[in-house]
Amino acid sequence: MNLLRETAVLLRKEALLEWRMNYAISGILLYVFSTVFIVYVAFAQIQPQAWNTLFWIIILFTSVNAIVKSFVQENSARQLYYYSLMHPIAILLSKIIYNTLLLIFLSVLCWAALSFVSNNPVQDTGQFVLAILLAGLGFSITFTFIAAIAAKADNSATLMAILAFPLVIPILLTLIKLSANALRLLNDTGILQDVWMLVGIDLLLLAVALVLYPFLWKD
Amino acid sequence: MKGIWWKTTGVLILVYVFVAGLLTPIKPGIMAINPSAARAGQALQIKVNGYNTHFQQGENRAWLVQGADFVWPAQSAVATDEVNLQLDFTLPEFLPADALRQEFRLLIDNPTDGRIVSEQTLAITQETSNATQGAASWQAATISELHTRRGMAFPHLAQLRESIRNLYFHVSLWFAMTILFIAAMVYSVRHLRHFREHDDRMAKALTTVGLLYGLLGLATGAIWAKNTWGDYWSWDPKQNMTAIALLIYAAYFVLRSAFEDPEKKARIAAVYNIFAFATLIPLTYVLPRMAESLHPGAEGNPGLASADLDSTMRMVFYPAIIGWTLLGLWMAQLSYRADRLRDRLLNDF
Repeated sequence: MNLLRETAVLLRKEALLEWRMNYAISGILLYVFSTVFIVYVAFAQIQPQAWNTLFWIIILFTSVNAIVKSFVQENSARQLYYYSLMHPIAILLSKIIYNTLLLIFLSVLCWAALSFVSNNPVQDTGQFVLAILLAGLGFSITFTFIAAIAAKADNSATLMAILAFPLVIPILLTLIKLSANALRLLNDTGILQDVWMLVGIDLLLLAVALVLYPFLWKD
Repeated sequence: MKGIWWKTTGVLILVYVFVAGLLTPIKPGIMAINPSAARAGQALQIKVNGYNTHFQQGENRAWLVQGADFVWPAQSAVATDEVNLQLDFTLPEFLPADALRQEFRLLIDNPTDGRIVSEQTLAITQETSNATQGAASWQAATISELHTRRGMAFPHLAQLRESIRNLYFHVSLWFAMTILFIAAMVYSVRHLRHFREHDDRMAKALTTVGLLYGLLGLATGAIWAKNTWGDYWSWDPKQNMTAIALLIYAAYFVLRSAFEDPEKKARIAAVYNIFAFATLIPLTYVLPRMAESLHPGAEGNPGLASADLDSTMRMVFYPAIIGWTLLGLWMAQLSYRADRLRDRLLNDF
């Protein structure tokens, strides 16, 4: 119970921090819109197949950019203060939950922006929303944990890309298949298996991340 | 000479694997039968092209068979050479069941090769059916006194043939790689429990050799694919996933080099190693099973289906896994020692 309360307090702190230092979130929003615009200008007419690929590539890069700051935006003295007050798992959990919500928000925004400039090829909205929710969770768990590792090194942005991209490929491939099904690019009746697969990978990574984080944060 | 016995065992096992795995012949089999379709009641001449067969050594007998009940004997069998056989049939008027098109396999028997059943089928068509009369004529003949082949041999599988030997290299190397990665993961866990330099060094050495085995497994697989699929790399789900798995482990070394402080390096590398292993499992053992693939034993199995593995192959396959693992542990030990000597030298300056 204590852990949950600590997580809730930290989650509130994350949101408040984002709100007060709004250059970070505005930067990411600008990043999404300019990428969507570049894609639109470059492609002019986006076919559903390309739409699906582009959407997930934009989400992938946006996620990395949004999450890489998670553990470096506050100075180390203040972080030490948090660790002296809260359990490290609560700190990681709050960041994962916050990033999940942030990524889901960014994905929906990206979807809306792409639909606005080109078109909306999504046939099965429910399934696509499910893909976005699972994407938010999976990317958030992987990238947040990798951001925690990368933050320990000096050149964290490069390290983040090297470590995170291969790790996220299984999740990304399953997501692309799931959303291709939502766009009716393929018709797979066994798609539920992929959904459980994603949930399984997410839970496995979450469990491992929570177990390992207490060893990671100490300097 | 501590530990000399397991190193010797490993090398001896691998010598056995190379000798037995490369020299044991493939069982005689049938490459092609021509023609592959016929009509009932017709006089039929079939040309059989065999592999590793000895058609000229003794009398050949042949039957068309369907299931266990229905057989029809060949009138004559003439061997043109060791691998080519010409069979003459006079097919009965009717087929054993009512279907107008039915498939039959060819069973050939000779004293040297024993019984050989073709994987390719012969389709026989009939214009009208008479199941009773057909069944009676197909049941009139019986198969008797089949020979059995003597000596060790690996199974003859249509697509694989000689390349089935890759099981002792490609597949065994993958198994050994997984074992080494598991060991590296265990040492990483131990490092996080006791923070001993020894555990981190072992984890690093085992990961190095595991990565080497992964590359060798990919290379042996690619050479096999070149000969079987036509390309070294054909973007098969299994190839993709394993390439990604190796990228994840390659990133382990990039991560290590990003830190100066040895204690911090060891701790974070251990954390990453465990995390990487957690992603390796879905990547190589779960996801490829869900995708369509050309890989042998596809449709739900990353390796050969267990039905394809006969006891002769197991006699080489299981030792091969043990042999490669022991060799890997030896290499890891050498890498560990080199690492320690390097550190000691650096500390002296």
